[in-house]
Amino acid sequence: MSAERKTPQAAGDTQDRAAAASEPDAARDPGDLRLISRATYLKEKALQNLFLACAFVAVAGVLLIFLFVGLRGWPIFAKVGLWRFLTGTRWLPSQGFFGVATMIANSFLVMLGALVFGTPLALGTAVFLSEVASPRVRAVVRPAVELLAGIPSVIYGFFGLIVLRPFIAAWSNSLGLGLLTVSLVLAVMIVPTIAAISEDAMRSLSPGIREASYAMGATTWQTIWRVLLPAAKIGIIDAVILGMGRAIGETMAVVMVAGNAPVVPHSLFQPLLTVTAAIVMDMSYASGDHRTALFGLAIILFVISMSFVAALRLLSRIGGGEE
Amino acid sequence: MRDRGSVFRRLLAALAALAVLATAGCSRGDASATRLAVTGSTTILPIAEVSAEMFQKAHPGTRVLVSGVGSSAGIESVSQGSADIGTSSRDLKPAEAGLGLVDTPIAYDAIAVIVNPGNPVRGLTTEQIRDIFEGRITNWKQVGGLDMPMGLVNRDEASGTREAFSNLVLKGKPFDPQAAVLPGTGQVRSVVAGTRSAIGYISYGFVTSEVRALAVDGVEPSPATTADGKYPIGRVLHFLTKGAPTGLAKEYIDFVLSPAIQTKVIADAGFIGIAGKAR
Repeated sequence: MSAERKTPQAAGDTQDRAAAASEPDAARDPGDLRLISRATYLKEKALQNLFLACAFVAVAGVLLIFLFVGLRGWPIFAKVGLWRFLTGTRWLPSQGFFGVATMIANSFLVMLGALVFGTPLALGTAVFLSEVASPRVRAVVRPAVELLAGIPSVIYGFFGLIVLRPFIAAWSNSLGLGLLTVSLVLAVMIVPTIAAISEDAMRSLSPGIREASYAMGATTWQTIWRVLLPAAKIGIIDAVILGMGRAIGETMAVVMVAGNAPVVPHSLFQPLLTVTAAIVMDMSYASGDHRTALFGLAIILFVISMSFVAALRLLSRIGGGEE
Repeated sequence: MRDRGSVFRRLLAALAALAVLATAGCSRGDASATRLAVTGSTTILPIAEVSAEMFQKAHPGTRVLVSGVGSSAGIESVSQGSADIGTSSRDLKPAEAGLGLVDTPIAYDAIAVIVNPGNPVRGLTTEQIRDIFEGRITNWKQVGGLDMPMGLVNRDEASGTREAFSNLVLKGKPFDPQAAVLPGTGQVRSVVAGTRSAIGYISYGFVTSEVRALAVDGVEPSPATTADGKYPIGRVLHFLTKGAPTGLAKEYIDFVLSPAIQTKVIADAGFIGIAGKAR
């Protein structure tokens, strides 16, 4: 139980992490070290440095990617102007138009679409797993949901293109490539993320509030809706933000079912081009300013993702303060 | 501006070299003389691949590595030196004329305008096709078909087929930006095959019974009508080398131009052989 209790906060709870980090330090206190042999001490030291190196590689990776993308993309801001780059609606790189507002808007559109379909589905799954399912049912359903996260995105795209698209095409009398199809595919893709973290958040609530609610005569539904979901709301918002990050950064599945037209759609069935799709489709052949513009797009994507991570950390700090 | 991309390209070249080393295995000592990298157009990929297999059988100890990355990427690779032969299904752009590339045409191709077999329309004029892909005709009833909105399917900008279609039909005018953009011939065909209102274009060599190729200006696309120039949407497939082809590259190109490939492989793929006219 105590291990489960930690999971939802593990993503951001700095206090927890600081506490965990200080424990090994205490163990390596010189006072204790006299009790072990020099060989063991050296081995411990070597391992400590090895782990430090591992952590350093991760940090260096982030910094290098940020630097590389930043340096390669910066010239387009200087050339076109940051404001015109961000607010321009015409994306015709071969003719010198580098407006990316359309694609940014489309990325947020598909993200919202994914949330509209995905969040209720994921929350329902989380509530079922945490409050309704018997342990035996949970033992089957939970791995199935987790398995969903392990399916490669190209498979989701292929499924969307071959199975989902013809249905939507026949129903809407269109190509079936567009906002609705992308939203549905992405919704399924973000379900495991949101469901797993929301479930952890609900299960890690103190059993006392659940028991108190039932003791006062509340039904299961009342307990879930009035007590448990509000109590777990920080964890659930965490989960949704992680889902947003996954949806806005998804590329392969989106390219296959979005239709990739560089316009803001005025119906659910019209093709649309997202930031990630533009980068992956153009990177194979773009050169010169076009290539630089793609790195500029990558910077924007980076900033959006970073702001999601920042929001997560901020939230977990607020959540930590409340509990 | 070009040199900005050079680090990235060098990285790609290094990766490609690694892959080549891995595949070449222990025979890598004198690999450079027996290894040939052919890269570019996905349209030409089937021809280049089958030719490569037959060529390797006829010349034991050689390796021909074929990849399909799009015509523009192929031209880029051969001019950068990371490929020995770049394949392209479009003509060189003026900006690419100064790269010192030597062009060997190897086949003709026709671009078929395809619709769903359930669509009663059998043919269109070049003007109608232009109006459709520029977004001026948006309903099938405007060209004598059913009353349903057209589902326009376009290719991505890296596609040589798109480039050729744009030049041959749209004369460089912009495509309707609302059209769906799909990154591959197979995807265009699969979407058109599964959607009654769809219209797209692919190489004639990839037309199957799942879709219907329309007659253009009253001429059905076929090897005969493309070779004699009656079918209006035809093009030339190119092999490009940095300077005149030499050594293994020359042997391979001569092999592709030989009757065995021209009358069998190229014809089987739905293209039209060029041998005899080229040299």
